[in-house]
Amino acid sequence: MRKAFPYLLVAPAVIYLLAITLYPGIFAVWRSFYAGRFQLNFVGFEQYIDLFHDEAFWHSLSNTLIIGGITLTIEFVIALGLAALVYRDPLVKGWRILFLLPMLFMPSAVAFLWKLLFNDGRVISDLFMRIGLVDSNIDFMGSTWAARSVLIVTDVWQWTPFLFIIFVAALQGQDKEIEEAARLDGARWRQVFFSISLPMMRPVIAIALVLRGIDILTMFASPHIITQGAPAGDTETVSYFIYRTGFKSFEFGYASAASVIVLILTIVLAQLFVRRFFKSGRD
Amino acid sequence: MSETSKFSLGRTLLLGIWGLFCLAPIIFFATIALRPRNEIIAPRPIYFPTISIETWAKIWAEWPIMTYFMNSVIAVSGSVLICLVLGIPAAYSLARYRYKGREDIGFYILSTKMMAPAAVAIPIFFLFRALGLLDTVWALMLVYAAMNLSIVVWIIRSYMIDIPHEIEDAARTDGASDLRILWSIIIPMCMPGIITAGVIAAIFAMNEYLFTLIIATKQAYPLSVALANFSGGSDGIIYNAIALVAFLAFFPALLLVILIQNHLSRGLTMGAVKG
Repeated sequence: MRKAFPYLLVAPAVIYLLAITLYPGIFAVWRSFYAGRFQLNFVGFEQYIDLFHDEAFWHSLSNTLIIGGITLTIEFVIALGLAALVYRDPLVKGWRILFLLPMLFMPSAVAFLWKLLFNDGRVISDLFMRIGLVDSNIDFMGSTWAARSVLIVTDVWQWTPFLFIIFVAALQGQDKEIEEAARLDGARWRQVFFSISLPMMRPVIAIALVLRGIDILTMFASPHIITQGAPAGDTETVSYFIYRTGFKSFEFGYASAASVIVLILTIVLAQLFVRRFFKSGRD
Repeated sequence: MSETSKFSLGRTLLLGIWGLFCLAPIIFFATIALRPRNEIIAPRPIYFPTISIETWAKIWAEWPIMTYFMNSVIAVSGSVLICLVLGIPAAYSLARYRYKGREDIGFYILSTKMMAPAAVAIPIFFLFRALGLLDTVWALMLVYAAMNLSIVVWIIRSYMIDIPHEIEDAARTDGASDLRILWSIIIPMCMPGIITAGVIAAIFAMNEYLFTLIIATKQAYPLSVALANFSGGSDGIIYNAIALVAFLAFFPALLLVILIQNHLSRGLTMGAVKG
């Protein structure tokens, strides 16, 4: 009984999660072998072969990596810069609340806000015209990089605070005296930050980027609401690809095959990156 | 001017610019919520619209916003409750006992956070269809709970680890059982962690979009998906109703976050970054 006790405590949570993660995994594998919307036909690996020859699928994978990589880089640089500027400020709590406001809106609402600012309300075009950058309305859905920028700006606006809050906490947690000693030795602010504070926060940066990275790679609300893949699928993320083939075209078998590929990629990524940074026990 | 004060001016300017970038769209969005429909989409954007509470009343009359709000409240609070009931014992087990497979169990729980919602969306859809739960708040509640359980376990676990062993040892020599110790010592002592976990789970559940989109098709609309359906034929997308609903979800989230502001970084990193 004593030996079983810790297992009994953790069992309900594990069973619940297995029911809602393992089951979908198995179902997706099973369903990926069957084509058809209502009448299921066994087709074996055919849908995987189709998927590997599907330009749209590869395109969505590369879009996800390109848009995600740029977004994560921009968010990281801005968040780190802001955190470095603010962490010894007496008003740090005020800045923190101000900067985290965008994070408190629902992503679907934020997507509509930026859809209005960029597309329907033409606010961004208007502001650009006022400062003389362009002479006429910009069609943000007309070119690849304009449309991708819309998704990037939307994500940067909402989620930079996520990294910022973590970085501020990490910097505040560092020993003040080391910094002060270095300053007394004549080191400049910049030197102190880059050669002392930054190296000390490397593990925190890794964890924060992994968590934000996972979220960015599953980006869905803004492509679904703002671009719907336009132009020519250049803003279609993997999540949107699965949603579109599954719930718009009702090709559930095909979408399941894509799901299985994404699940495998997730497991590999989780093993590579996540396991290193999190430990369960005290030691 | 000394170097420090010159630096400080530039610093405040940079922070101010980012602050403005954060705030300006929010203020604009707030005016959208209160302006009449014909001033939302105009040939040139209108920055100083007629602000009228009547717009608000009209939106309120047109859409069952209170129903959507209650759907959100029920699904979100129910999911947080499930997370805490399942998560607290699991966190206790991971934080306080040594046993075979503990690391693997902990990692498995964590790894469910890494699953792309889109990758499990199709099976989840068929699962709830088979159970007859499509378009119900119950399905939303169960999905939100599954989505957040990993975070809740890991946050609470991190707070439990910080409680010194001596207190438990003393209680144990007095003859208290393990469950008794969990209930009357551990839980009260890690209340800040439990509240932090609950708040973060609630906000994530409130925000959820993809699962909600495939599960809720009318009756069960919570706020996050209800707003995507505010469009009416020739009117196109009804942005003032969307903005209103956005703020309806924003203010409770703001209150909750202010409550846990000093625990936020620890919560967002699932306990990995203290501060």
